[in-house]
Amino acid sequence: MATEQHQQSAQEVAALINNQIVNKIDFLQQFKAAVADHQDRRIYQLLDNQRYAKEIEHREQQSNNQSVMSLVDDLVDQLSHYLSVNLIDYLGKAYPFFYYEEYQTGHYRIYFGNWWDRREFGELDVLNVRFLFNQDEYAKLQKSFELVHENKRYNSDKIDKISQENDRLQDLIDHQREREERRAKLQDQLKEVSSHSGIWESSKNKESRQNIVDALQKLESEEQESRTAAQTIKDNEQVVLALSKENTILSYEQKSIIDTFGSFEDFELANRNLYASYLASLNDDEKQVNTDGE
Amino acid sequence: MANNQLTASPSKQVSLLADSLTTGLTLGQQYVQLLKQLAETESAAELLDAAQQLVTFDLDNVFVKFPQHYQPTDYYLLLMGRLLEMHSNTDFQIQEDLDHHDFYATISSLGDQVHFKFIIDANGTAQLIETQGQEALLYLNLKHKMLRFNNRALVNYFIIALQREYSDLDIRAAVKPLLAFAHALAADLDFVIDLGILDVNNDQHFALQQPTLSLTVIDRLFVATAEFDYMLLNLPQNNGAELRLDRGIKMDLQFDPDDYSQQWFFKVQDPDNQVSFFDLLLHYQLVRQWYLQQREALAVKSDPLLFADDQSSMAVTDDPVATEPTVICHPDGSVTPLDQE
Repeated sequence: MATEQHQQSAQEVAALINNQIVNKIDFLQQFKAAVADHQDRRIYQLLDNQRYAKEIEHREQQSNNQSVMSLVDDLVDQLSHYLSVNLIDYLGKAYPFFYYEEYQTGHYRIYFGNWWDRREFGELDVLNVRFLFNQDEYAKLQKSFELVHENKRYNSDKIDKISQENDRLQDLIDHQREREERRAKLQDQLKEVSSHSGIWESSKNKESRQNIVDALQKLESEEQESRTAAQTIKDNEQVVLALSKENTILSYEQKSIIDTFGSFEDFELANRNLYASYLASLNDDEKQVNTDGE
Repeated sequence: MANNQLTASPSKQVSLLADSLTTGLTLGQQYVQLLKQLAETESAAELLDAAQQLVTFDLDNVFVKFPQHYQPTDYYLLLMGRLLEMHSNTDFQIQEDLDHHDFYATISSLGDQVHFKFIIDANGTAQLIETQGQEALLYLNLKHKMLRFNNRALVNYFIIALQREYSDLDIRAAVKPLLAFAHALAADLDFVIDLGILDVNNDQHFALQQPTLSLTVIDRLFVATAEFDYMLLNLPQNNGAELRLDRGIKMDLQFDPDDYSQQWFFKVQDPDNQVSFFDLLLHYQLVRQWYLQQREALAVKSDPLLFADDQSSMAVTDDPVATEPTVICHPDGSVTPLDQE
């Protein structure tokens, strides 16, 4: 009896296995056909049926069959490379300011722009049709969009501060002669005041003597600073140039986004809808061929 | 000798004098003919022939003295004026300075107060100058049939000096007759012409004077573009930058990626092949300010005309351009750097 039961369950198991294998073969055959005909939309559906049902067919709660989908897990890099051709072609029109570098098979770095100086901006996730932006770089861009309302650029405050510092240093350099004259005068005064010092020195005299000493010390420290001021100004100018370059890069990026999307918000919306928009564009392409069988 | 003179018969003496006078008069006649040819011919070749003979014509004669006559520099100016006249260009007008008995030229768009003249340098090359600025705008050598514009002077005069008083359209109009003269020399008389930064050819390279270029200089242009609507792009092979201007006009500052020496040069391209680097300096404040502020680093090469077969050319040391890399132009138009000679 036990054996019979076991046999029965063995039959069920065999059926189950058979069923699973049929499913797997079916999946692989569909996959094979889709790849052979470059039906990218179909491939995306096979790769993530749940998302496809939700975002393209608007059918909720379609679960993914992990047991078949895991069959192509070791092919993700190759699939990514394969699917990138059409995706990057599409992105070239939808996001004309992004450039991609395949640094290893199926892995793509995003560069923002082809301008004189540009930023590496994150990675392109081909299989999930999404941008993985570098969060630090993205935050800078977001911030500079916010600053537009204040009529400022990302590094405006820093540049202003350094420019003021340079003005102050230049002033020190320009007033060297006046400092020398003032010092000579103060030293004379000090001599004069010191002659009245001694054990019976009045508190008023003491105070003015201290004032003169303080003023002389201040002059001396200014003098010391002015000796290195020229070099500091030069160094600061390099820093300002670097900050201005970053400002320029960000303004190019802002300009590109506005030219293409109208606003930063619309850019972000487009990013969120990228999967649906891209697959819809593939749908259009395939209508003419209609080898989809649906 | 004294003996001979004493023994010569009076009639013989008269006859000798007459012969000498005839030689002098013939000289005068030749001179007059050449002047008429210069003033009246309708053939460019005859015009050049007359000018070429006149600039070296020696009118000195012991027996026949001719009154006030013109200087070689005047013939260059007359040649230029007449050639432009043949091409119906009326913007370049020759006037006579009655006090000095010589000629000067005016250009319509610059008014009557700006005068142009030719001078002749130590190696026999004529230079067109504006009389206040004194810098050679172009070099002209009739013997070698060559004309070359002087890039540095074009910038100093038209871009810097005139910019204060004249609109860029007036300045552009002022350059036109100079260009027309060069084109007429090339078309009618087979001159080899080097238009320098006035050249509109898209393929033309304008090499920088300095052997190296700090990328900071390009950074400054990049930063400056933020205030304008133009973008500075990186060239695909990381060999320089490209400034995108209006109507498909592009200015590259680059080196040839295959060139080991990495010689930097400017290149200006536009869909109609009509825009020169000079035009960009003139019309685009962005380009002009950047170029003039970084001129030491960005100056385009500017070579005088020197000829290998002209001995005196090697000895010129007080020429203001002599400190810049000097080249020798051969009559066939090829150019050799002097330091390889």
